[in-house]
Amino acid sequence: MTVSFTLNVNGAATEVSTEPRRTLSDVIREDLGLTGTHLGCEHGVCGACTVLLDGAPVRSCLTLAVQADGHEITTVEGLANGDELHPVQQAMHEAHGFQCAFCSPGFMLSTVALLAENPNPSRHEIREELSGNLCRCTGYHTILDGVEVAIRALASDGASGGGDA
Amino acid sequence: MNERTQTSGLGFVGQSVTRVEDDRLLRGKGQYVADIEPEGVLHAAFLRSPFAHATIRSIDVTAARRSPRVTAVFTAAELNELTNPFPPFLMMPGLYTPLYMCLSDKKVRHVGDPVALVLADSRYHAEDALELIEVDYEQLAPVASIADALSVNAEQVWERADGNVLLDKSDAYGDVESVFASADRIVTERFSCQRQSNQPMETRGSVIEVDPETGHLTIHNATQSSHMLRWLTAALAKKESVRSSLKNFATNKDRRDSFIVAAKEFMAQNGESMQNQDNAGPKSQLRKDRSMLRHLPRTLFGLLGKDDYPTVMARDIGGGFGAKGPVAREDIALAAAAIDLGRSVKWIEDRVENLSDGGHAREEDLTVSLALDNDGTFRGLKVDLVLDQGAYPAFPIGASMATQIMRVMFPGAYKFDAFHLRARTVATNKGKYVAYRGPWANETWARERIIDVAAKALGYTPTDLRLKNMFSDQDMPAAMITGPALDETMSTKKTLEHAMQVVDIDEFRDEQETARAEGRYLGLGFACYHEAAPGPPDYFDSISPGAGTLGTEYARTTIERDGSIVVYTSQMPHGQSHETTYAQIVADELGVGIADVKLVYGNTDRTPFSVMGTGGSRGGPLGGGSVKYSSREVRQQVIDAAAELLEASADDIDIMDGNIHVSGVPARGVSFADVAATVISEGDQPFDATFGYTGKGDGGWSCATHACIVEVDLETGRVDIPRYVVVEDCGPIINPAIVNGQVRGGVAQGVGAVLYESSVYDTEANLQATTYMDYLIPTAMEIPYVEVHHLETLSPGENDFRGVGEGGMIGAPPAITNAIEDALGPFGARVTDQYLPPTKILEMAGIIDPD
Ligand code: FES
Ligand code: FES
Repeated sequence: MTVSFTLNVNGAATEVSTEPRRTLSDVIREDLGLTGTHLGCEHGVCGACTVLLDGAPVRSCLTLAVQADGHEITTVEGLANGDELHPVQQAMHEAHGFQCAFCSPGFMLSTVALLAENPNPSRHEIREELSGNLCRCTGYHTILDGVEVAIRALASDGASGGGDA
Repeated sequence: MNERTQTSGLGFVGQSVTRVEDDRLLRGKGQYVADIEPEGVLHAAFLRSPFAHATIRSIDVTAARRSPRVTAVFTAAELNELTNPFPPFLMMPGLYTPLYMCLSDKKVRHVGDPVALVLADSRYHAEDALELIEVDYEQLAPVASIADALSVNAEQVWERADGNVLLDKSDAYGDVESVFASADRIVTERFSCQRQSNQPMETRGSVIEVDPETGHLTIHNATQSSHMLRWLTAALAKKESVRSSLKNFATNKDRRDSFIVAAKEFMAQNGESMQNQDNAGPKSQLRKDRSMLRHLPRTLFGLLGKDDYPTVMARDIGGGFGAKGPVAREDIALAAAAIDLGRSVKWIEDRVENLSDGGHAREEDLTVSLALDNDGTFRGLKVDLVLDQGAYPAFPIGASMATQIMRVMFPGAYKFDAFHLRARTVATNKGKYVAYRGPWANETWARERIIDVAAKALGYTPTDLRLKNMFSDQDMPAAMITGPALDETMSTKKTLEHAMQVVDIDEFRDEQETARAEGRYLGLGFACYHEAAPGPPDYFDSISPGAGTLGTEYARTTIERDGSIVVYTSQMPHGQSHETTYAQIVADELGVGIADVKLVYGNTDRTPFSVMGTGGSRGGPLGGGSVKYSSREVRQQVIDAAAELLEASADDIDIMDGNIHVSGVPARGVSFADVAATVISEGDQPFDATFGYTGKGDGGWSCATHACIVEVDLETGRVDIPRYVVVEDCGPIINPAIVNGQVRGGVAQGVGAVLYESSVYDTEANLQATTYMDYLIPTAMEIPYVEVHHLETLSPGENDFRGVGEGGMIGAPPAITNAIEDALGPFGARVTDQYLPPTKILEMAGIIDPD
């Protein structure tokens, strides 16, 4: 059995036809070829698969693709504006945020959502908000630094947050 | 510093240059193994044993084969017909290494042991079909712990072992008996470390592409060791008879010639250290199991007779920490299936599989006796070590190798008159033991713990007792009692002295007392170590004679026709930022910018050979050295050619920002492309140099002291870490931000090891932590800020870099456990377990009952 529907990802609409049991992460990666969304655990803990659904972070490994019908999805590929990195990406680069970077899509999308809601979180709030994402390489310090660099960059840009990327 | 616009002349080495890797990775344009999807690829799923220990009476795959979306089902027996067993590697006296096949056909030895392989048009359908396979098991008594394994009544995991003991080896240095007889005190404690798991965020995986025309395999794999995977796949994945291999070897001249060239090259580089190998290792193996005499010729001749070895390609890898070093049984099963079907196959391990058999580590019991005099002088150390390797030995570096590194490193930075270690490796019905960041780390944990225990017994402060017994600069040159030579790079004492300036101990003691009066429990713990990074030339041979073959790193630097600079390394980066640090080194050598250097790695067709790939803190000192010296040779080639072009003496040529010119007249300079154009050569690389590097000679020690302050909450058993200090000395630093990242990442894993992570099995050898709900990886909330202080002790000679990848994880468990014992001092607590979850903390404080 297959179902057909439209998936809106990074501003582009694609018709997909898939078994209903397939996850959003699998459809994004396999059918749309957007492999920047990573799968670390496939059971909802690591956060590597985080994408934005209408601006709010969701675990795409626990979301069925059909559930995204009618919503706007943002993946890591949707962050940069052509050659120009998104301020969060640029900040992570400057702060030496990641090592293997397997966790990076989840962290960056969670950060984008966090700063859209609260443009000026404290270090403690950042830690708390990002505690749903696991990183095994960095010990987190540089990722948290990266968020703070992004906060400053966004503030000086006069931007109010990176919500819809 | 900013990006790719950096100009040379300043020297990149030593600066926190931002990462070259980031642009593709941060855009989501990296290429990890799961991202590779060849046209028409078949997706694999393994059927795994639900039992820890059982014989297989029968297996029925008919229903699975009938499933319309399934292309093939292989039972273990079928695949084992096509493959050779994993052979013993680095045999050592007292060790028996069981031979094993890629899948298990007669007996399963742990929960998760693979027994069949399904290939279907999607992973969903492959997993569906697993449910259609019927296996009839007859359960055997499980061997679930070290105690089980040592019990005489236990069922044997491996029929030919002595009970369940695979290694039993004792080594003594100095006159152990008389030292222990004459010492004033002997302090003894038994320490126990739980099973932990490396847990890179990316699981293992392999995508094997088959060329429909030639049958050539291209293996995309998340491997730390691409060449080892290539060779072992060639050796094991397609069984051939000795006769047909020999015939092929005799009749195929190309094959023969290329083998002879490779063998000569290998012997020229490694002959000496191969000669150090003695026969005691193979003899130990043959006493237990002669089957290698039957299998090895077929494996080796199979290699010689092959026209075609696979190409291994590894691009971006989502961490490894040692778990991706071994060649997996699954890797061989998949390759055999791909060859048999002539179809491309893909397997991406899921997290449950990874937690079960993607690599476990550190499960060790250590009974340690420290002999010392009343004035605090250390006299001798005796250790009885038992390591639980699980069922299947990892290939190529098995658990027993870790016991021997522990033997060499156990005495640490301290002077002893005598040392004895008995090392045993036992087999149990659990997942396999692999190297995990600082695979020998429990020597540091147990040693630094017993020193604290002894300090308390004698009324010394932990720092005074350490300082009193440490090697200092005045002692150099010296040697560890276990052999390796020490020089000024052994600066552990300096790191401790520095840490004592950073952390004001007196002030802390006041604070601790005040806090206790308020019912808050603070503790301070220190841990000191040094690691071979790469260590002196005799280091590998002191672990296992002949192991020096592991030590060499190769690099090749070329200038292409268009002037671009391409560097090939035998290292296999998986998060360590080699593309950045190597570009820094090469840019400085060649007088170009970071962005001008391209690093090629992971592709076995293009990169130089190495047994190990990336591991053992060798990427900086050895990999970096090979990159440096191959680039230096190429620089000379370029300068010689430029001298002709510019009609000047080579001594007067300078290179700055890619401009090759006579010193002082940059305006009349030429580019790399200009010079390349003048060179008449057939190939694409007018300038080309390869360099094999084993280190600069003596020394090569990387040292550190960790100091940890904890606050223990006796309501909840929770441990907070308000302050964590690392003083490290890895010599001159290539990129401080990257070094800090390595240190902090290691400490984070150490925090996990003590407070959160345990691959715990029940008494029936069922793994209890098979998801991230039970195996707790610490989050940003649990990991403290880690202050990193650098000392940069220099030693004579060039390329003085020392590795830093392992140390964070070596120092953290002892520093944290020492701090916790200090915090619980008022309760007379003694920390003997590495794993201290809240319940254990409350037990130690006498708040809850152990039962
Ligand atoms: S892959 Fe979705 S949370 Fe881990
Ligand atoms: S950078 Fe490797 S998991 Fe986060």
